[in-house]
Amino acid sequence: MPARALEQMLRESKEDDILLRVEGLKTYFFQRSAVLKAVDGVSFSVAQGEAVGLVGESGSGKTMTCLSLMRLVPQPGARIVEGEIWFKGDNLLEMTEQEMRAYRGHRMAIVMQDPQTSLNPVYTVGEQVAEPVRLHLKERGQQAMARVLDSLRAVRIPRPELRLGQYPHQFSGGMRQRVVAAMGLTTQPELLIADEPTTSLDVTIQAQFLRLIRELQQDSGTSVIWVTHDLGIVAQMCDRVNVMYAGRIVESGRVRQIYKEPQHPYTRALLDSVPLMGTRREKLYQIEGQPPDLRSIPEGCPFWPRCPEAMDKCKEQYPPRTSLGGEDFVHCWLTEEGR
Amino acid sequence: MANRLLEVEGLAKHFRGGGNWLSSGGDSIRAVDGVSFSVEEGETFALVGESGCGKTTVAKMILLLERPTRGAISFQGKDVSSFRGGSLREYKRLVQAVFQDPYSSLNPRMQVLDIIGEPLRVHQGMRGRDLRMRVGELLENVGLNPVTASFFPHQFSGGQRQRIAIARALALRPRLIVLDEPVSGLDVSIRAQILNLLVDLQRELGLSYLLISHDLAIVEHMSHRVGVMYVGKMVELATRDEFYGNTLHPYSNALLASVPQPDPDVPMGTTIGGEVASPINPPSGCRFHTRCPIYLETNMCREVEPEWREILSEHLTACHKVEPAVV
Repeated sequence: MPARALEQMLRESKEDDILLRVEGLKTYFFQRSAVLKAVDGVSFSVAQGEAVGLVGESGSGKTMTCLSLMRLVPQPGARIVEGEIWFKGDNLLEMTEQEMRAYRGHRMAIVMQDPQTSLNPVYTVGEQVAEPVRLHLKERGQQAMARVLDSLRAVRIPRPELRLGQYPHQFSGGMRQRVVAAMGLTTQPELLIADEPTTSLDVTIQAQFLRLIRELQQDSGTSVIWVTHDLGIVAQMCDRVNVMYAGRIVESGRVRQIYKEPQHPYTRALLDSVPLMGTRREKLYQIEGQPPDLRSIPEGCPFWPRCPEAMDKCKEQYPPRTSLGGEDFVHCWLTEEGR
Repeated sequence: MANRLLEVEGLAKHFRGGGNWLSSGGDSIRAVDGVSFSVEEGETFALVGESGCGKTTVAKMILLLERPTRGAISFQGKDVSSFRGGSLREYKRLVQAVFQDPYSSLNPRMQVLDIIGEPLRVHQGMRGRDLRMRVGELLENVGLNPVTASFFPHQFSGGQRQRIAIARALALRPRLIVLDEPVSGLDVSIRAQILNLLVDLQRELGLSYLLISHDLAIVEHMSHRVGVMYVGKMVELATRDEFYGNTLHPYSNALLASVPQPDPDVPMGTTIGGEVASPINPPSGCRFHTRCPIYLETNMCREVEPEWREILSEHLTACHKVEPAVV
């Protein structure tokens, strides 16, 4: 077989593995006096069974990217202005609202940061976990309850038969987060978006939850997008990571690669600024300044005012995508010029 | 050894509550139940634990925001509860605090000049030009432009607000600052700025810190000695190197193993199941026995409260399974 044909075949088989592909996504907030470019041309993909991290600080656009994937951007105010979101063979942005409902909570689910507000206080936990089952799987009664029990068991909630009839306030924070995860997982979605699901949890409870998601992922082959600012969670949970800054992905790569040899000065700075157990540093690396105001993102590379290696070029033009082999890439003039 | 600045001896705080609508339940919420430690001059002592362990209640008692049920706090060798009038004012001057949330700890209607200047006016009667000069100086100390003295809190980012809170805490030249989760509300890149600032200020001014945190990586970076609390009790206390190098108590081990390390080659350790026990009618015997991975099958752990004892020099713990190395 000629090499080119083989290559073509390999590429296609790889294409088949891709569950989600986002191309040039732009989500803007339209305000009376300004346009906030919350997501400004984001492209990434998630393979079947893969865990992908979206890392960034507040205002970097990671949460807005996820809400865009679900087509749940705040209305009115925000709008997806450009881009494509391919879920297997379908572009989610071309679907009707009716068609989209078949995806949300069924083929893709989201687990939010705050279990307090994701649960309705006046419905029992059983009723809430059963909702996606009734809506999407059209199951009722005994059959639905059996499935709810299964998911509560899957997230290791002790005595699920009893817990099912209780209300959210009777659950602890960690248990509530499990209920929210159970809600997301009952329909066995192909993609789970975890938006900082552990920030309100205690350390030991967080560790339990992380382990649980990893086991569920291994058992079911679900793909997961981890949205977080915690570099520890990314290192432990993800295969790939996308680093976001001011609405764009500035670096993307395999977790090991990025943690060992970060290319973008922002990625490097982030990794150096967190205290690491076992390695004592006299001083933490300090990124000066603060993330930019989305109303007035600097010209050129938005990181230049904080970048220790900024050159004149950085202030003028946004750096192009420089491939680092495979699907890995970085947007930085240093790497681009260096090659 | 350095001079002892603050000493806490058998401190306890029990709250009313925990009953149902028919009975108050009495003083049954044992938020803090017999905690002892000290803070030396110029050191950072860290109190670590999960929510509900009582670490914030300990801080509140030190700041005189709660009255202890039992136990004593002494400052520079004197019993704090005996302070009245001038000595009380002096204590309040010397002990300051920086809280977690810089959004709610600064009055949105006050200018920075008044926020930082208030303690100076109240304690030292400073006014006018002197006050403005001193506030400008403090702003510079924490890395802010003195021009910002006329700004209001909403004009600052979270990290800058935390700097303002630090400047206010520094205004009266305190000896001890209670830092209650000082960076947990901040972005990663801003955390390093604040932690570095705190370390620099400590060196320059010889300050002591009581750091309250749940983040064990930050604690390792910042502290000289560490105390771990679990449901109102101290379970382990040691110097930083001892604590991170030779952890004794199973709960401390579980905490350390639970931290997801920002290194893909360091996998997470085995954590523990269950949840933090409630301080309302806490478990009998050792309070950790309900989650303990090395729980003794004899009824010892369930029935007998483990003694708080020194296992190695300056390394104390309360666990039946840990035997003293030095007799």
